[in-house]
Amino acid sequence: MSEAVEKIAPSTGSAVAKKEPRILVCDGNEAAAWGVVLSRPDMVAVYPITPQSSLAEYVAQFVADGVLDAELVEAEGEHSVLSVLHGAALAGARTYTASCGQGLAFMFEPYFRTPNLRLPIVMSIVNRDGITPQCVWGGQQDAMTVREVGWVQLFCETVQEVLDTIVMAYRIAEDRSVMLPVNVNHDGNYLSNGIVRIELPDQGEVDDFLGMPDVNWHAALDPDRPMGVDPLTGGATGPGPALFVGYRRGHCEGMQNALRVIVEVHEEWARRFGRRYAPLVEEYRLDDADHALVTIGSMAGAAKDAVDAARDRGERVGLIRIKTLRPFPLDAMVAALDKVRAIGVVDRAVSYGWNSGPVHQETLAALQHCRHRVPCLSLIGGLAGADLTQTHFERAIAETAKLLDAPCPREPVWLNAEDR
Amino acid sequence: MSATPTIAFDAERCDGCGDCMSACASAKSTDGNTAQSRIRIVRDDEAGHWGVALCRQCGDPRCASVCPAAALAKGDDGIVAWDAERCVNCLICTAGCTFGGIAFSADEGHVVKCDQCAGTPQCVTACTRGALRYVTAAKLYNRWGELEDLFVPGLGGCQGCNTELIMRHTLRRVGPNTVLATPPGCIPGMGSVGYNGMLGCKVPVFHPLLTNTASMLTGIRRQHKRKGRNVTALALAGDGGAGDVGFQSLSGAAERGEQILFVCVDNEGYMNTGAQRSGSTTYGAWTATTPIGDSARGKAQDAKNLPLLMMWHGCEYVATASTAFMEDFYAKLEAALEASERGFAYLHLYSPCTSGWRFPSASNIEVARTAVETNFAVLWEYRREQGLTLSRDIDDPLPVTDYLKLLGKFRHLDPAQIAHIERHVAEQAQVLCELAGMQPREGERIVCHPSDSMAVDLDQ
Repeated sequence: MSEAVEKIAPSTGSAVAKKEPRILVCDGNEAAAWGVVLSRPDMVAVYPITPQSSLAEYVAQFVADGVLDAELVEAEGEHSVLSVLHGAALAGARTYTASCGQGLAFMFEPYFRTPNLRLPIVMSIVNRDGITPQCVWGGQQDAMTVREVGWVQLFCETVQEVLDTIVMAYRIAEDRSVMLPVNVNHDGNYLSNGIVRIELPDQGEVDDFLGMPDVNWHAALDPDRPMGVDPLTGGATGPGPALFVGYRRGHCEGMQNALRVIVEVHEEWARRFGRRYAPLVEEYRLDDADHALVTIGSMAGAAKDAVDAARDRGERVGLIRIKTLRPFPLDAMVAALDKVRAIGVVDRAVSYGWNSGPVHQETLAALQHCRHRVPCLSLIGGLAGADLTQTHFERAIAETAKLLDAPCPREPVWLNAEDR
Repeated sequence: MSATPTIAFDAERCDGCGDCMSACASAKSTDGNTAQSRIRIVRDDEAGHWGVALCRQCGDPRCASVCPAAALAKGDDGIVAWDAERCVNCLICTAGCTFGGIAFSADEGHVVKCDQCAGTPQCVTACTRGALRYVTAAKLYNRWGELEDLFVPGLGGCQGCNTELIMRHTLRRVGPNTVLATPPGCIPGMGSVGYNGMLGCKVPVFHPLLTNTASMLTGIRRQHKRKGRNVTALALAGDGGAGDVGFQSLSGAAERGEQILFVCVDNEGYMNTGAQRSGSTTYGAWTATTPIGDSARGKAQDAKNLPLLMMWHGCEYVATASTAFMEDFYAKLEAALEASERGFAYLHLYSPCTSGWRFPSASNIEVARTAVETNFAVLWEYRREQGLTLSRDIDDPLPVTDYLKLLGKFRHLDPAQIAHIERHVAEQAQVLCELAGMQPREGERIVCHPSDSMAVDLDQ
């Protein structure tokens, strides 16, 4: 990392002609930290937790080295981490934090409030499975558990996408028609610790892309603009239920606006930096497919290899990767699902009461809007850091293909159940 | 009007020697006859000590209001002055004054009263026991009274609650360049964050979570400072939000030395929501969640000493205060505000709860004073450079039962419980004495005596 620090001096921030990208070889946590550097937050508060810890260390080192000019608050726990950022954002700060698993659980009280305050905070979740059983390994149970809280939730496939998405997340969060916090998810272990070559965008170009922080125009704690933030609404009394409904509806509208903004921001990113990501839902070899897998996060890489192998055998299979889970990209998802006759959804988390995976449930809800009834199987794997290999996805494809001719089982397929 | 000097009398220090009367008579008459003295020391056998008859220079003097000739008036200097030209010698003023502060002098042939000797009262100079002091007791009140009240009129506190007093005086002094946090509890319940879209105060205010006040203020203070602005980050929190569920964030911010002024208004429980137990609730106390029954007799544990816990964080400043000792509170608020520019400042205010503690609403200040005078609530301050000092003597307290008997929440206590509380109060006082004694002062060790700076301003 120190070598990278030397190579990449802080930019003057002035608009400059397009430069050759700098090349780094690093893991996803360092890439995320570089995304933070490029986004120039005013304040960062991070409490370390496996597998996010090295991210916290990189950020601290960048601040120590002067590469990142930000207030670094060494808060005593995740609950305070997000609370500090609440105050900072209301005072006008662009902010960043990262957590996962139990840290997210401990953070939940302020986390629950963040989107309702309409604070454009960006937070990485280095996805980790939940205890118990005691476990420090990857899994998406943390992010899936909080999907109804009202944050924008983006899921990355690659280390490069982690860096790029963190920068893009600020544009999405701070868009005045959105004003919502954004979680940038990257899978613990696989993305957090996997080392690859990435390109580092030029600071000046990122400055042009992001613009100045625009954080507290709507709600501020500033003696120059004295106001009360979040007084009691009176609930169903006082001004009546309409006030509360207005807040909830506004939040829903912000979420729906985010769908458009996420697309626009990804397109602009592709124009400026040459890297194009499907903003909402990626369709992979889907157009002539009979059946398809739905995946989310880093597992898509192995899944795509399995799709390629099946295609080589003549099987007409495709893949749908969800990048944006919240707001749920209903139109994009319906358009993708409409192309096939059977679906297998691979989840890295469980939805206990449904006896399936959470993304499976999300997919079922979208299928309601499709032209045809499409059978949809739940497959669960990759829990607690378990590897999801090409072999696992070949099985997933095979199980999904069965739906073309047979009824859909209600039981999920546990992909790692036999792995020892 | 910013100062109204007065002569304060401390009955406990007076031995009735009469030197003050001699000095006054010498100053005000040609023959020095003590009958000419404008101050009279009289024995109050019922109370068992000496009393004083002397003009108080009242803010709204009754002598003047009853005078039919407009011969008495309070001047801009604070002195109630007598005008010989207008006086008709009706003596109604002597009946109007309840302090014996104006009396007919047979030698002079008219009423006489104290004029404070043009700023050098001879009686005070003559008193060798410190029973008389020339002080500007109302100076701070009036100075702060001229500051803008940043809370709106009509906060919705319970009748007799002293928290409104704390809120208004605190925010007057801290001023408008402030962001105020009022976590869930009595203070927002009284309307600091307002209801129905109308705010309760004129500074930026917010309703943090019960748990995260000090953390949110951390972000606010640091971001404004990053932008070159010195904004005071002020918390007005209850003991639950400070010491129970909010303690982690409070502790973290104190440990990091965040520049925050954190005022804890300790009413020993969750009083806003119906008087439930907190970690600050006294042993034996009734609360809604420590009821009295066949198997339980109130809270089974002692209260934690939150201000001492804060002291051990090595804050810039920590102090305890009471609304029964406002001068002391003012001095400590001043010190805390100044300290919050450098680091964490914590002010712990004892706030008797009329409804939750079950005592008459007119008795709040009496309860607060008795808590201090029995050592139930000890007033002290801690500065990082100087350590802990006691703000008043604690070596001759009133019996703890004088305090307990004032409060309905202790009505059920049995002798063993009372003994437990007495023992705990004594232990806490001893701990504080030892902590104060650890601080060398001019080569000596202080034990149970107030610091010089505080002694002057107490007992007003």
